[in-house]
Amino acid sequence: MTADTPTVARSLTCGHIGPMRPRALTALLWLPIAMPIAAQENVLIAFNAGSLARPLRAALDSFAAREKVTIQQENAGSLETARKLTDLGRVPDVIGLADHEVFEQLLMPRYVSEYYEFARNRMVLAYTPKSEFASEITGATWIDILLRTGVETGRADPALDPNGYRTLLVWQLAETFYQRPGLARRLLEATPPRNVRPNEAALVGVLQAGEFDYIWSYESIAQAAGLQYVHLPPEVDLGDPAMAARYAAVSVRVPGNTPKDTITFRGAPILYGVAVPDAAPHKALARRFLDWLLSADGVRVLRGAKLDALDHALLVRSPSTE
Amino acid sequence: MTGPRAGHRAASVVAALAGSLLLLFLFAPLAGLIAAGGAAGAAKLGSDSELRSALLLTALTATSATLLGVVGGTPVAYLLERRRFRGRALIAASIDLPLLVPHPVAGIALLLVLGRQSAVGGALLAIGLRIVGSPLGIIAAMLFVAAPLFVSAAREAFGRVDPRYESVARTLGDPPWRVFRRVTLPLARRGLVAAGVVMWARAVSEFGAIVILAYNPKVASVLSYDRFTSFGLAEALPVAAILVLLALVPLVALRALRPDRAAAES
Repeated sequence: MTADTPTVARSLTCGHIGPMRPRALTALLWLPIAMPIAAQENVLIAFNAGSLARPLRAALDSFAAREKVTIQQENAGSLETARKLTDLGRVPDVIGLADHEVFEQLLMPRYVSEYYEFARNRMVLAYTPKSEFASEITGATWIDILLRTGVETGRADPALDPNGYRTLLVWQLAETFYQRPGLARRLLEATPPRNVRPNEAALVGVLQAGEFDYIWSYESIAQAAGLQYVHLPPEVDLGDPAMAARYAAVSVRVPGNTPKDTITFRGAPILYGVAVPDAAPHKALARRFLDWLLSADGVRVLRGAKLDALDHALLVRSPSTE
Repeated sequence: MTGPRAGHRAASVVAALAGSLLLLFLFAPLAGLIAAGGAAGAAKLGSDSELRSALLLTALTATSATLLGVVGGTPVAYLLERRRFRGRALIAASIDLPLLVPHPVAGIALLLVLGRQSAVGGALLAIGLRIVGSPLGIIAAMLFVAAPLFVSAAREAFGRVDPRYESVARTLGDPPWRVFRRVTLPLARRGLVAAGVVMWARAVSEFGAIVILAYNPKVASVLSYDRFTSFGLAEALPVAAILVLLALVPLVALRALRPDRAAAES
């Protein structure tokens, strides 16, 4: 019996292929799993805000093809991304955030000593052709349409996502600009908690599924997702650096480092920040990527992916390193 | 002849080692979680009303989803196990499909079927039942991701009941429904309870589909994600730890209170 068993087994599993092949094949199947587990030198790890997912992906792909490196990208809300460093001790090679303030509030000077302001964006009201009153909505009618009963508008959570608190800032700016006292409060009532999602990227799918008629989002997101959107005046949309003083007149409070604590975010032009953390695992490669990203080539790729990249990125250093 | 015996001994050692490592792998993260956040979580139960309402909401929605799963899943599991009919293999396979769908995708799929633009969602909304952004949406998400686990475990439970007992009851003149109620159900009860426990546990832990359908009101899994993102690990661990500790109570209780446990194990 013991003599027969190996023969039987071989004839069952190997057939005509020969004794070694199936094992070799099985081993090959594990390769895709084993490769990323093994420590790799030519890897570039990027953590970024959801609204940077597409443009940064385009830039990373372009850089990877040129430098023969593998990229690993993680998309999440800007605050969640910062928490990966501060609380989980996970440090990427490159970190890109939708609000440069998050660098200053959470990451500097301990994790990041300098960052670049490298792209702009503006707040828009995005919708689809299926949205209720889609044919009527314009820069002049949006307020009244959003306040109609039965119109569902989605927004991001101000505690979790810059887009969420920027939405609240936009409402306050609109209240002043259109001279409609109480507007911010009425817009808040028109987007009850059930219309809130953790971040702006999560709103797009819900809008496309028809559950929301309108969502508060970024121009870059609306363009990249092929959504229609209402342009807001520059006095309101947080997109114009020349309006910085006007934006600074409004502010919101969001939860701080504990449920009882709060952080105040003052209105400011939307500026994206990108940095190489001090403890980046592949620092030299990351610096090369950042230099390329901020060059004319990189800017072209970012703009091709609908991000309004600045011609000249602005370096911001932590006060303690100056 | 020492070869085979030594081989058996080596196999036993390897098996014991592999088993121990797996147990360690499963328990260590939970023990660490409870050690890190258990005490703070217990303290928070008194002071944090948002945590209390999230836990209550989780328990209520998971229990509702499980009851719906049991009511609908038991006949399905019985039919699939006991009857041969056209399309049986197809139904059996498609019941497992929700297990393969990534959970955010499951959330979007449910949104398309239950959202206000859909026939079902629109009709429910017309009678005042809102799915999206309400506890009903949470129950829907839990039911979708967890019911397949109940059905497959319930099928196994029915499969372990010897069909001869049912035949005997039928030959003695019992109609099929009475056979099911008086013979099959009592014999399968232990397995069905276990299936319900598995479904309940899966429902409690669901996050991905729920966060698409109903971010608010927040269940415990969403609250712990929320606390992590806005406040960091120190605030998220107690929420997660207390969820694990509280979920242990019904899990252990249900397993211990199984009526035929002693009989089955003797």
